[in-house]
Amino acid sequence: MEPIIQTENLRKIYRVGRVDVQALRGVDLTVQVGEFIAIVGPSGCGKSTLLHILGGLTGPTTGKVLVDGNDFLKMTDSDRTRFRRHKIGFVFQRFNLLPTLSARDNIALAQAIQGNGFNPHRFDSVVRTLGIQEKLGAKPFALSGGEQQRVAIARAVICEPKILLADEPTGNLDTENSQLVLNMLRALNRSFRQTILMITHNPEAAAVADRIVRMRDGRIILE
Amino acid sequence: MILANVLHRPVRTTIAILAVAIEVTMVLIVVGLTSGMRNETAKRVEGIGADVLVQAPGASMFLGLGSAPMPVKIGDEIAEFPHVQAVTPVLIQPSSTGSINLVWGIDLPSWNRVTQGFVYLSGGPFTGPYDLLVDDWNAKANHTKVGDTVKLLNHDFHLVGIVEHGKGARLFIPLATAQDLSASQNHATVFWVKCTDPGYTEDVLKSIRHWLPTYQVLSVREYYTMMTSNNLPALNAFIAALVGVAVAIGFLVILLSMYTTITERTREIGILKSLGASKGYIIMAILREAGLLCAVGIAVGCVGTLGARKVLLASFPTLSVDLTVDWALRAATLALVGTLIGAFYPALRAAQLDPVDALAYE
Repeated sequence: MEPIIQTENLRKIYRVGRVDVQALRGVDLTVQVGEFIAIVGPSGCGKSTLLHILGGLTGPTTGKVLVDGNDFLKMTDSDRTRFRRHKIGFVFQRFNLLPTLSARDNIALAQAIQGNGFNPHRFDSVVRTLGIQEKLGAKPFALSGGEQQRVAIARAVICEPKILLADEPTGNLDTENSQLVLNMLRALNRSFRQTILMITHNPEAAAVADRIVRMRDGRIILE
Repeated sequence: MILANVLHRPVRTTIAILAVAIEVTMVLIVVGLTSGMRNETAKRVEGIGADVLVQAPGASMFLGLGSAPMPVKIGDEIAEFPHVQAVTPVLIQPSSTGSINLVWGIDLPSWNRVTQGFVYLSGGPFTGPYDLLVDDWNAKANHTKVGDTVKLLNHDFHLVGIVEHGKGARLFIPLATAQDLSASQNHATVFWVKCTDPGYTEDVLKSIRHWLPTYQVLSVREYYTMMTSNNLPALNAFIAALVGVAVAIGFLVILLSMYTTITERTREIGILKSLGASKGYIIMAILREAGLLCAVGIAVGCVGTLGARKVLLASFPTLSVDLTVDWALRAATLALVGTLIGAFYPALRAAQLDPVDALAYE
């Protein structure tokens, strides 16, 4: 079967002032459909950059990046935006919910941006799976960290993305809520064969994944 | 999302709405005042009942704004023309005593022949040189009544009659007195000519123009059309300048408001981008938000205009403010265009934000 993600010698160089910063120095990574992968490594090793490139938020400098058969090196910014809209879901450490919207509207926003209209069946199914039926009317400031992250996961998966990219999803949560969120991710992966790439510093969180990828200095050092 | 964002910052939202409202009110009041005063003046000229008016060469079409007096004997000559029923000379004097007014010095017998006379609501005609007639609007505005002493042209006048409004001016004194006070004995600013039949107006115009080729000779109908048209160059420039200032105020406040909005919401824009929102989606979201502010501002501005008109007319009863649907639509369009242009640059900046930088924004 074709891998859903394939990178070869992926490099990313940022220019900070007059200095070139090599964030990724040749990353080779293959991810199969339905895999749950944890990416671990020290701060500044390039984990988030890798996630941003795989999610189409930024382009690679050189190398090969194939995501669901799409070559990101050949895609324009608009192409990557369109790809992200339909095939990628993001979960962030800081939840990143829109503060002026209720939980319901935050989730529905993803459907609105995708442009396929509100799907009540899918909406009910997702909020029930994540156990947030009772919190839909609340705004983010009225939700606990765990509840906010579950709303963020709901928003990320409501449009049935092919890949879920989670950037330290338990980084701002206590142990109980961390476990709850990890269980949700695991359940999504097992129930729907959701491909998940999760960045984490937490070894216990990483242990939930099928495979752990370790990075250092912009390279994968161990799989 | 648009409504939630607008409600999230009530002070900024209120300021933006007020800016648009002031813009709309300013446009409508300026245009309403100028066209109202112009139309009302034209109606008063039409209300005289004359068919032709004659002014000296180079005189302003705004009666009384240029002195340029003519010898009264010109009127006597015109009175002898065929088809001329009556001619009355008027000497117009601006008076700045108290408030600025135009005082018409009239020769009451010939005035009555041209205008069919005043309708006296109280009192009666002049009996002495320092007698004064005012129209009912002026009397109401100044709370004056027959028997009062009114200071005009640095002299005390005795108010002897209050007449129905609509005949030329609001303040009338005897012609001889006006001539004495302005050292313009036997001169007049304008002659009002009444034809034996309105059908002879063209003939009379031709005769007078032939005799006085450099003088300003107009039919009252032409004068009315000129005054009520939208083609008065100086007035249009004045209106355009004030409308421009109003639009600039709205444009700048919206620009600043939306610019601070996108700076404050940089992270939220990053979130939208992470969800796959296109540049067009983000631009439209910001333009819709500005459009909502503008729509509310237009509504507030229209209500504010009605309120401002009420206050103006209560404070200055002699003013006229003509509010028209046509200009309300124009003001709304100007406000909307100014708003969208003002919001476009911030919207474009928001759309061009790098999603990774935006998500990292604190």
